[in-house]
Amino acid sequence: MQPTISLGPLVLPTSGIIYIFGAWLALSVVERAAKRLDLNAEATYSLAAVSIAAGFIGARAIFVVLQWPAYRNNLLGIIWPLNSGFELWAGLLFAILAGIFYGRAKQLPAAATLDALAPGFSSLFIVISLADFFGGPGYGVETGMPWAIDVFGIRRHPVQIYEIIIGIAALASWFAFLKRRSFDGQLFLISLAIYSGGRLFVDAYRANAWLTPSGFHILQLISISILLISVFLLGRGLIDREDAVKSEV
Amino acid sequence: MLKMRFGWTILLLILGLLGGAWIFISQESTPQFGVADNLTEAPIAGYFAPDFTSSTTQGEELTLSDYRGQPTVLNFWTSWCPPCRIEAPYFQAASLKFNGQAAIIGVDQGEPLSAVADFGALMGLSYPLVLDEDSSINRKYGVVALPTTVFIDADGVIREVYTGIINQAVLEDRVDRLLKEG
Repeated sequence: MQPTISLGPLVLPTSGIIYIFGAWLALSVVERAAKRLDLNAEATYSLAAVSIAAGFIGARAIFVVLQWPAYRNNLLGIIWPLNSGFELWAGLLFAILAGIFYGRAKQLPAAATLDALAPGFSSLFIVISLADFFGGPGYGVETGMPWAIDVFGIRRHPVQIYEIIIGIAALASWFAFLKRRSFDGQLFLISLAIYSGGRLFVDAYRANAWLTPSGFHILQLISISILLISVFLLGRGLIDREDAVKSEV
Repeated sequence: MLKMRFGWTILLLILGLLGGAWIFISQESTPQFGVADNLTEAPIAGYFAPDFTSSTTQGEELTLSDYRGQPTVLNFWTSWCPPCRIEAPYFQAASLKFNGQAAIIGVDQGEPLSAVADFGALMGLSYPLVLDEDSSINRKYGVVALPTTVFIDADGVIREVYTGIINQAVLEDRVDRLLKEG
């Protein structure tokens, strides 16, 4: 745990710095992926940048709206400090909507663009887990496993490290299937299936998971839904491809 | 082609079954509130805050009901909880800002005096830190996730239970509102 980095008199939040690095990394990866997929790299990069910016602003704006009485007499507080006070669901919604609008405006092919965005998503998730590991609020359940990490005197599952491994697996799958891509959107669906399947598994080891009133992990319920939808779409895409090949023959 | 469809259907079924089973295994028990003997006290907004007496890191006895007459904020935390460390400075700032008008009280969960006192010294906390080595206060308040913050009005009634890291502006706003109402 290294929540802050001290540079002389300057104390910077580690997670904030890592998030900025993550955004840059994700954008760079998306640009390269678009080039490898023969897409419009500039437009795909811009789409990713617009989505990240919209997600950040949306997450903060909706938090401020929901907590308006806290900011009514403290307008400067809306823009600083930014180390807490974001609505995750709102950020995701704004990012997706901004991406859809930008993609439509620029007439980008949806499925192929998602293929180019997939390694960016994986990179971003890896970096978010890294930030959480150094200075975030997440922590795992207690364990006696040899790979346990010491969190302020208690040995716990390194859930963020598990999440990083899943992100790396999703990223690796993109490169592994790049040459064997048989339909647009396949790379995105494979990455999504691997990442959601992995999160379904490791969220069981998170100590402060979001729970339903009956005690089920909310992230696991979301993950299994995404996993099943992505595997279904993968299967359908491959079957349709086979059908097309046979009808051509 | 039929074989391929069958294969994908079987894969989906297996994933659904395994995933569902894993979610079921991972299910966590929900809190059982330990206040059934007194219907007017419950760790829920709208009920009287469950009373308790415990010692602080300064060696003094602290009774929650003694704080009636001013808004009180209970912050449940532990020294090993990363998000508790993130928000501790917010409570310190609020305790200085509302000094004499509202009370900020930290309630530890299941740690000995040395751990609680060390944490308080490390974070520079000057508000009272209550010990709860057997976690009986935490059970009274049904604390299942850390940190948890309970806002109590001047009449001793719980107005809000906030789970997770609280934002500094939100914390100060909640106390402000309780002060204005009082």
